[in-house]
Amino acid sequence: MKQLPLDDNPCRPRHFKPAPCAPAGSEGPAQQSLEASHTRLIITGALLCLAFLVIGGRLVEVAGFKSGGARLAHSHAAERIETSRADIVDRNGVLLATTLVTPSLFANPKQIQDPHGVARKLAGVLPDLDESDVCAKLASDKSFVWLKRQLTPRQELAVNRLGIPGLQFQDEERRIYPKGNLTAHVVGYTGIDNKGLAGMERGLDEVLRDRHGPMALSIDVRLQYILRDEIARQVADFNAIGGMGVIMDVNTGEVLALVSLPDFDPNNLSTATPETTFNRVTLGTYEMGSTFKIFNTAMALETHTATLASSYDATQPLHIGRFTIHDDHPQRRWLTVPEIFEYSSNIGSARMAVDAGADQQKQFLGRLGLLKAPAFELPEIGAPLVPSPWGEVNTMTIAFGHGISVSPLQMAMAVSAVVNGGVLHRATLIKHPAGYAPLGQQVLSAQTSETMRRLLRLVVERGTGKLANAPGYLVGGKTGTAEKVSGTHYDRKQLLSSFIGAFPITDPRYLVMISIDEPHGNKASAGFATGGWAAAPGVSRVVQRMAPLMGIQPLDEDSPEIRRSLMVDSLTPQGRKIAAN
Amino acid sequence: MIRLGTALWLLLVAASGYAMFQIKYEVMKLDDELTRIDRQIMTSRESTRVLGAEWSFLNQPDRLDRLAKRYLSLKPIATAQIGSIDTLPRRSPVPPAAVAVAAPLPASSRPAAASWLAGIPSGVPQ
Repeated sequence: MKQLPLDDNPCRPRHFKPAPCAPAGSEGPAQQSLEASHTRLIITGALLCLAFLVIGGRLVEVAGFKSGGARLAHSHAAERIETSRADIVDRNGVLLATTLVTPSLFANPKQIQDPHGVARKLAGVLPDLDESDVCAKLASDKSFVWLKRQLTPRQELAVNRLGIPGLQFQDEERRIYPKGNLTAHVVGYTGIDNKGLAGMERGLDEVLRDRHGPMALSIDVRLQYILRDEIARQVADFNAIGGMGVIMDVNTGEVLALVSLPDFDPNNLSTATPETTFNRVTLGTYEMGSTFKIFNTAMALETHTATLASSYDATQPLHIGRFTIHDDHPQRRWLTVPEIFEYSSNIGSARMAVDAGADQQKQFLGRLGLLKAPAFELPEIGAPLVPSPWGEVNTMTIAFGHGISVSPLQMAMAVSAVVNGGVLHRATLIKHPAGYAPLGQQVLSAQTSETMRRLLRLVVERGTGKLANAPGYLVGGKTGTAEKVSGTHYDRKQLLSSFIGAFPITDPRYLVMISIDEPHGNKASAGFATGGWAAAPGVSRVVQRMAPLMGIQPLDEDSPEIRRSLMVDSLTPQGRKIAAN
Repeated sequence: MIRLGTALWLLLVAASGYAMFQIKYEVMKLDDELTRIDRQIMTSRESTRVLGAEWSFLNQPDRLDRLAKRYLSLKPIATAQIGSIDTLPRRSPVPPAAVAVAAPLPASSRPAAASWLAGIPSGVPQ
């Protein structure tokens, strides 16, 4: 520390210097400190100037050049309206599920003086409220009770008009399903707190929460309607307990329509019952009956245990253990492989399966994805019921679709693979981007697939599936009539009648499947309730209605190219003659 | 006496103060307007959502089906109604005059036929 000159006033601050009366000498402490403070002053001034320059510069920058950027930083209240759950739309952008803000009514019981009167008035304008229940809530000593969630604007107005103090509204989000019953089983529904509880709402719960844009499903609402309409008609005509159906793009695995009847209104869940919310297509597993012969025949051809020219003895019912296998359309003679398929011979199919053996059968069905639950977006997925142990009897019955239960969705996937050239695609309910060709798994040869297409066409042209024909669209498919298990035995009266087909069979694009649960024969069907009567006509009408929508050109069925491409060359002249009868 | 410089500065201070308040009020006004427009956008978006839901609801296929059956006399397209341009028979290369000579039309139907033909662009001179 510098030694300062002694001062006569001890109270004077140390740093205070009396102004010099005369120019101080260049030497001396006074002159030194004066210079120091001068320097400090200049430095401080320069710093301040710099600061102002920076501020000024920034001002010019903000005002003059970066107005756009500054505006972006402004938070817009309008952006917060984005709801917490993405919309669901169909493949063409038609709205299937959306979220709307609706008011919910709550009360502060501490502010309600006359619970009885208020409850009576409220029950007057909101008829579905229980008066005594409301009264109990209002009389409680809580300070918050929900009275009714999610009111309509009209109800809100009515409650407001009552003018009761202590009643208040809180805006809440509510899921709305504009298509109601039509897509109920696909879209599913959410609970009161907008958590997905069923269908895609549950399967894609997290995706829907995080997503901003709408979620596009593979469903086409128009096809969904056509399919539902025709199934409902068949169910009504045949006085059945239910029905189900699928339309699938055989080349991508996209599900274009998925119908399970009876269905429910997701906007009004209080009317839904376990019966109506049950998704028969994905959760239900059924013994599918003769439609399984598609796989049985494909297996025999693929494993070369039979050719189209092979024939099997179907003269007598087949006895095995305590079972007897009959034919529904008995021909009582030896049948070739195409004839077994055409007449849907159980005996012939069972013999074919035995030739191939249980192992090959098991392996083949496993490759088609029929032995384990398929991967699918819907949470309602049923696992197939597979026999264990897999004995010879099982091999025989599985040949014609009994003794193994699979879901209709699995059937659709597997049959798609059989007709599309042998490629198994994962079924999906999410729309593929345009031009995206999913990689499938080659599960059978293109050659077998082509032969199977010819055989499927044969069934519609001449066999059990004639009623599925749709002129010009070349439907090929297979009927199936399964007896349902009732207690411990198969019931001849309780049937599951199906038709599963694809069109145009020369180069299949879409698979259409309809199953009618417990149909009863009517006059028009001459009492029959088999797949060829109860389901096939529905498929025919679905194809005729959907083909123009999908831009499928009708073909001339009698043109030589098509005749040639669908010819089944192993039919013996004898076979042809009998088939024509 | 106030010096000229001081007077100038005082004037500048007054002017900038006035301008500042002016701008402040303008900004407040704009801010109010922004809030109002924001709210309006919110309401509009909400209404759009509601209207979108209603549009989808009113377009339920079974409702359209019902209405179409009641008010229109249309039917689903039959296969026979669909064709392609290639399957149409080619127009006759014979000039229409020759056709007319070969098969004279009744006088009454001729103008109609002529006007129908005139509507079709053609390289064949009429």
